[in-house]
Amino acid sequence: MMSIISSRRCLFALLAISLGAGALAACNRGADATAKPAVALVLKTLNNQFFIDMEAGARSVADSLGLELIVQAPEREIDVEKQMQIVENLLQRQIKVLMLVPSGSKEIVPAVVKANAAKIPVVTVDTRVDAATLAAAGGSVATFIGSDNEDGGRMAGAFVVERLGGRGTIAVLEGIPGHETGDARLRGFRAAVAKAGTVSIVASQTANWERDQAFNVTQNMLQAHPDITALFACNDVMALGALEAIAAAGKSAQITVVGFDAQDDARKAITEKRMAATIAQNPREMGRMAMIAAARLIKGESVSAEQPVGISLVK
Amino acid sequence: MANRESGTAIGLLALCIGLWIATPYFATASNMANVLEQSAVIGIVAIGMTFVILTGGIDLSVGSVVALAGVVIGTLLQQRVSLPIALLAGMLVGISAGAANGLMITVGKLPPFIATLGMMSVARGLALLLTDGRPISGFPDALRAVATQRVLGISGPVWCMLSLFAITHVVMTRTVLGRYIYAIGGNEEATAMSGIDVRRYKTIVYAISGFAASVCAVLLLARLNSAQPIAGIGYELDAIAAVVIGGTSLLGGSGSVVGTLIGALIMSVLRNGLNLLGVSSYLQQVTIGVVIVVAVLVDMALHRRAQRIAR
Repeated sequence: MMSIISSRRCLFALLAISLGAGALAACNRGADATAKPAVALVLKTLNNQFFIDMEAGARSVADSLGLELIVQAPEREIDVEKQMQIVENLLQRQIKVLMLVPSGSKEIVPAVVKANAAKIPVVTVDTRVDAATLAAAGGSVATFIGSDNEDGGRMAGAFVVERLGGRGTIAVLEGIPGHETGDARLRGFRAAVAKAGTVSIVASQTANWERDQAFNVTQNMLQAHPDITALFACNDVMALGALEAIAAAGKSAQITVVGFDAQDDARKAITEKRMAATIAQNPREMGRMAMIAAARLIKGESVSAEQPVGISLVK
Repeated sequence: MANRESGTAIGLLALCIGLWIATPYFATASNMANVLEQSAVIGIVAIGMTFVILTGGIDLSVGSVVALAGVVIGTLLQQRVSLPIALLAGMLVGISAGAANGLMITVGKLPPFIATLGMMSVARGLALLLTDGRPISGFPDALRAVATQRVLGISGPVWCMLSLFAITHVVMTRTVLGRYIYAIGGNEEATAMSGIDVRRYKTIVYAISGFAASVCAVLLLARLNSAQPIAGIGYELDAIAAVVIGGTSLLGGSGSVVGTLIGALIMSVLRNGLNLLGVSSYLQQVTIGVVIVVAVLVDMALHRRAQRIAR
C-alpha cells in the first residue's frame, strides 16, 4: 500500500521534472535548428559591469559573424573551481572556440589543457593565463586579447604624481593578491611613483576588489595616516568604497582618488568632481575582438598571439 | 528509510531522462565521467555534513577548513616536505578543526551554528595569514595524478568519493557509531540517559566533517594545481543543499549518506545540464534554488504519507 502511493507521488515528480526539461529542450532545439557553430565566452562573474559590457560587445557581432554565442560565469568572481567546471561542461558540448577570462591565472591552466586535448582553440580575454604554468603543463592559448594593465597602472601613477605637484603621501587599495590583473596595475603604479622619487606610498592593503571592504580598509588607513593626499584603487569598485569612507571622514577636498576600469558610477563621480580620474579599458571592444578572433579560428585562419586593446585616462 | 532514498533516486533519474531528451551532449560516457568528477568536490564535504546534520547539528566551517587544509598542504609541499606527510598534515588540520568545533559544542555548550561560524572565520583567517593572501602553486606530479590518472576508466576524485560513501554507508548502517548518531539526532537527552557518552560521539562527528573537508582540499589541489586561501567559499551551503535534497532532515535523526550521494549528483547533473543547454547564469541560480525547495517539499510529503500509513 505504502509503496503504491509513494510510487504514484514519485511518478508525479518524474513527470514534472521531465516536463521542465522538455520545455528547456524545446528552447534548445530552436537554437539548434539554426545550426550555427557554437562558441562560448566564460567570464569571471556577471556581477560586474565590466563583464556585462564584455558580453554585450561579443553579442553585438554574434549574428553578423554567424556564430551562436553561449555566455556563462560562476556566481562568485573568485570561484576558480566553478569556472573550471563550467569549462569542462562546455567542452562536452562540442563548442568550436572557448573564449575565457580566467578567474585564476595559474589555477585555470588544467582547464585550458583539457580544451587543448579536445582540440578546441582557447582565446583568453582581459586576464592572461600564467605563461610558465601553461608551458609546464604543455598547454597553449591561440591568442590573448586585453589591455596592458601595467601600462594602465603607470598612467594612473603618473597622473597622481602630477596632480600632487610632486609631493605628498599615497594610499593604495590592492586587488586579491596573486591576481595577475591587479598585480600588474600595482606594478605599473609603483613604478611610476618610484620614478618621480618625491612622493611615497605610505599604506598599501588589499580590499579584495570589493566596495564594502574598501570602505573599511580606507577608514582604517585614514586612522593610521591622517595626512594621506592621494589614493589609488586597483579597480573602480574599491575606489567608490574609498570615496564614501573619505567623505565620511570629511577629507574629500584633501585626497585625490584614482580608480581603474572607468565604470559608469566612477565616470559619474568624476563628472561630479568627487573622484579625480580612472583608467578606461574597453571591455566591449574586448568582447567584439574575441568574437572576431573566434570566427577566424573556426575558418582556420591565423590570429596574432597578442591583440592589445587600448587604454586611456578619464579625468 | 529506503523508500525516501528511492524518491530522491527517481528525481535524479527523471532529471537525467529530461536532459537526455533535451541535449545530445548529456548522455555520453565522457560527460557522465565529467559529472561524476565534478560531484566529488561537494559530495565529499556533504558526507561529513550528513554526519553532523544527522545529530541535529550544522557545520558552517567546512568551506574555510577546505582552504586551511589546502594551504597547509601547499605550504608544506613548497618547503619540500614529502607528499604523504604533507597530505597527512592537511588531514590532521581538518580533523583538529572539526574536533575543536565538537569540543566547543559539547564541552563549551555553544550552539553548533555559533561554534562553527566562529571556526569559519578563524580557519579562513589562518589560511590567509599563512599564505599572505596569495595562492600557492606548483606541486609534484604525483598530486596532480590524483585528478588526471584514471583507474578502470574512473578518475581519482570519483574513486575517492565512491569509496568514502561506501565506507560511511557501512559505518552508518552496521556499526555502533552509526546507531548512536541516529539516536543522538532522534533524542539527545534520552540517548544520554541510556548511558551513551553523547559528548564523545558528537565530537567525533564534527571531526569526521573536518576530515571530509580536508579530503576535499586534496582534490581541489589536484584539480587546480593550486592551494588558494580563498578556496571553498560557499561550500557549506552547497553541502547542506546536497544533504537536504538527499532527504536528510535538518532536525536530525533521519536520513542517510546514500541520499546525500544522490543529492550531490542531482546538484552536479543540474549544473552540468544547464551549462550544456547554455542557460543564462542568472537563470541557473534560480533553477538550483527551486530544485532545492521542490526536492525537500516532495520528500516531506512522501515522508508524512508514509508515516500516516504506517500508523
